[in-house]
Amino acid sequence: MQATAEPLVLRADALAESQAPVGLLVLQGQDKLRPWIDTEGLVWAGAKPSATGDVLVLTVRLREPHGFGEVRGGRFILTTGAVRPVQMDGGWMIGRTPWGSSLEAFGGAPVVPRFGARSYDWLVGARLAQSIFSWAKVGVSYVQRRDDGEISNEEIGVDLAAAPARWFDLAARTAYDLTSPGIAEARVSAATRIDSWRIELFAAQTSPSRLLPATSLFSVLGDFPSQTLGSTVKWKAAPRLDVLASGAAQGVGDEVGYNASLRTVLRLDDRGAGSLGLELRRQDVSTAQWTGVRGIATQPLGRGLRFSTEVEIAAPDQADGHGSIWPWGLMALAWRPSTGWGTGWETAAAVEAASTPVHRYETNALLRLSRTLEFR
Amino acid sequence: MKPRLLVSTLSRRFLLVLALAFTLAACAGVLGLKTTSQSHPFEHRAHVIKGVNCVECHAGVALAGDTGPVHFPSDAICRGCHTKPHNESACGTCHGESFVRGGAELAREHLRFEHKTHMADVKGDCVRCHVGVADSQPTELRPKMATCFGCHKHQDQWNLRDCDGCHVDLQTEGALPTSHLVHDGDWVREHGVRAASARDLCATCHSERSCAACHGEGTVPALPARLAFDTVSLSGLHRAGFKSRHALEARGDPGLCTTCHSENSCVECHAASNVAPGTTTSNPHPPDWVTASGGQHGQQARIDPMSCAGCHGGAGEQLCVGCHRVGGPGGTPHGPGFTSTKNRQHDMPCRLCHAVGQ
Repeated sequence: MQATAEPLVLRADALAESQAPVGLLVLQGQDKLRPWIDTEGLVWAGAKPSATGDVLVLTVRLREPHGFGEVRGGRFILTTGAVRPVQMDGGWMIGRTPWGSSLEAFGGAPVVPRFGARSYDWLVGARLAQSIFSWAKVGVSYVQRRDDGEISNEEIGVDLAAAPARWFDLAARTAYDLTSPGIAEARVSAATRIDSWRIELFAAQTSPSRLLPATSLFSVLGDFPSQTLGSTVKWKAAPRLDVLASGAAQGVGDEVGYNASLRTVLRLDDRGAGSLGLELRRQDVSTAQWTGVRGIATQPLGRGLRFSTEVEIAAPDQADGHGSIWPWGLMALAWRPSTGWGTGWETAAAVEAASTPVHRYETNALLRLSRTLEFR
Repeated sequence: MKPRLLVSTLSRRFLLVLALAFTLAACAGVLGLKTTSQSHPFEHRAHVIKGVNCVECHAGVALAGDTGPVHFPSDAICRGCHTKPHNESACGTCHGESFVRGGAELAREHLRFEHKTHMADVKGDCVRCHVGVADSQPTELRPKMATCFGCHKHQDQWNLRDCDGCHVDLQTEGALPTSHLVHDGDWVREHGVRAASARDLCATCHSERSCAACHGEGTVPALPARLAFDTVSLSGLHRAGFKSRHALEARGDPGLCTTCHSENSCVECHAASNVAPGTTTSNPHPPDWVTASGGQHGQQARIDPMSCAGCHGGAGEQLCVGCHRVGGPGGTPHGPGFTSTKNRQHDMPCRLCHAVGQ
């Protein structure tokens, strides 16, 4: 046995649904030919109801073997610092120094889904970052995006990550809109770990009109930010039992509401191959008032077979003629042999049923066939 | 019975039932407090207490390089001391757990590591790195990365994201970080702010597909929630009956959807299900949405402009311009806090309402 795991991985997933009807074929591949080059692609084609398809990822990454620099080109998701994720066709590069400085630059055209027509759309930006005391990193970023030649987004951002102690870490980012001056988005998360507990405090402020492209008429309605302040507590109550509780106060406009959830997962074996889960949720913010409960169960049946089921009931406070509860359920059986005949193949079939705000009854059958190939 | 007393009694009963259920589950081993599996962690601690040196069983490991076998003891080695085994099964059937052995094999395949170069530094004391051996109930014997960092600072490599010195290929290794960047808590919500300063670090383990599956334009068909429908342990916004509750989720956190979706995403789906402008004759808004004195629509649009743009964006904006253009009956749509550096006669969207000279 040798440490030389750099395979070419190809995977194909075919999904068929009885509803619509929908067929979907997803092909993905990844290869790390040498330490300095790797490639990746993901394309899909489907019918819903007319034939369509798209390229989600198609990239080539070149890397200086010691990490001093990287260049990526093609179609990929750009996200760095306070720049919100953008799927684009273009290039990104980074230069790093051993003392923790880095400079990133990127440019390209935002992706238009399904090979749609492009106008004069492009975006450019950069980020400069520096490590401090080996336990913190701070970055400053700038992005400008244009739709049909007009500025739709121009922001500067600051991001910070710090882990001053083994039991405490902090991350924050904020983006300042230069087109309609003001904070577009600010988020902070601080977490501490003590024995089997993890406690996170988080806060966020978003200005929806500034998150929309500045070319949209709905971006001129003024600054009505929404704020969130909350905490998430994770408790490993027993070796196989995790409890996650989360609560947040949320201000939207002049109103203050809350969002609360409690999630428990009980693993049925030490590896977590089988598990039971229960999640309760309550949201009471502005006009979004509802209560929900979700349960899951999954259990291996041997010989690569696995049974799973998932049930959810959501109940809006105001039915408004769309039904007073929206139940949803799914039962699935998957087969994934790890040895012998059929290795590399994966099959899953499921039936789902629901009552939705639009349809009183809805059923759907799903079938997925997957094949993974590895070449070393 | 008074309602308050009833609630109190019910609460007490509920707590009693909960405590009873928890106790039963703990006794039954369901919570993992008591092992029920036939295989159990190998009795490393007992061997250490008896004075058995690690290399007596793991023969050859002290001279092991980057390649070769993983040096698990054979049954013959066990029977060198345990001359009267209690049954004929292979020792590893019960003594030691398959996932621990799997972890070691994974490490051999994916890590560049030589025991022989470390033995002198630790003076043959394997427990300095394999701290789990000393536990009475160890679950993981592979040293955590923090243990490596105890001697090897690797600050330069960390700054350069140069993981290749030890990790052959993190993306296929699939090992979860347990000592740094722990993906714990409500990670789906948290990952955005955590990744902001470390996007290139994320990329050392995660492929582009990981991001694109959710953040790409028009990714709905390849969403993990859709494609991995049988992996019910996945959490995330789009699981289960999301189709039913998506409007509530969107209204409850204005701007959340724009993190991944463009403002045109709504129309794409709504048109297919005949609930978009031009495809339906029914009005989704309440009766007092637009009135002579304004109605609800102005306030709601300011709180959640994304929802409006979802249906009325692009050419649909003319609906707003009809009333809210300069001099129009709707008055100015600009709310408190509105400022802009745009030229109102030439730039979009200002020029839609501001004619030259206004």
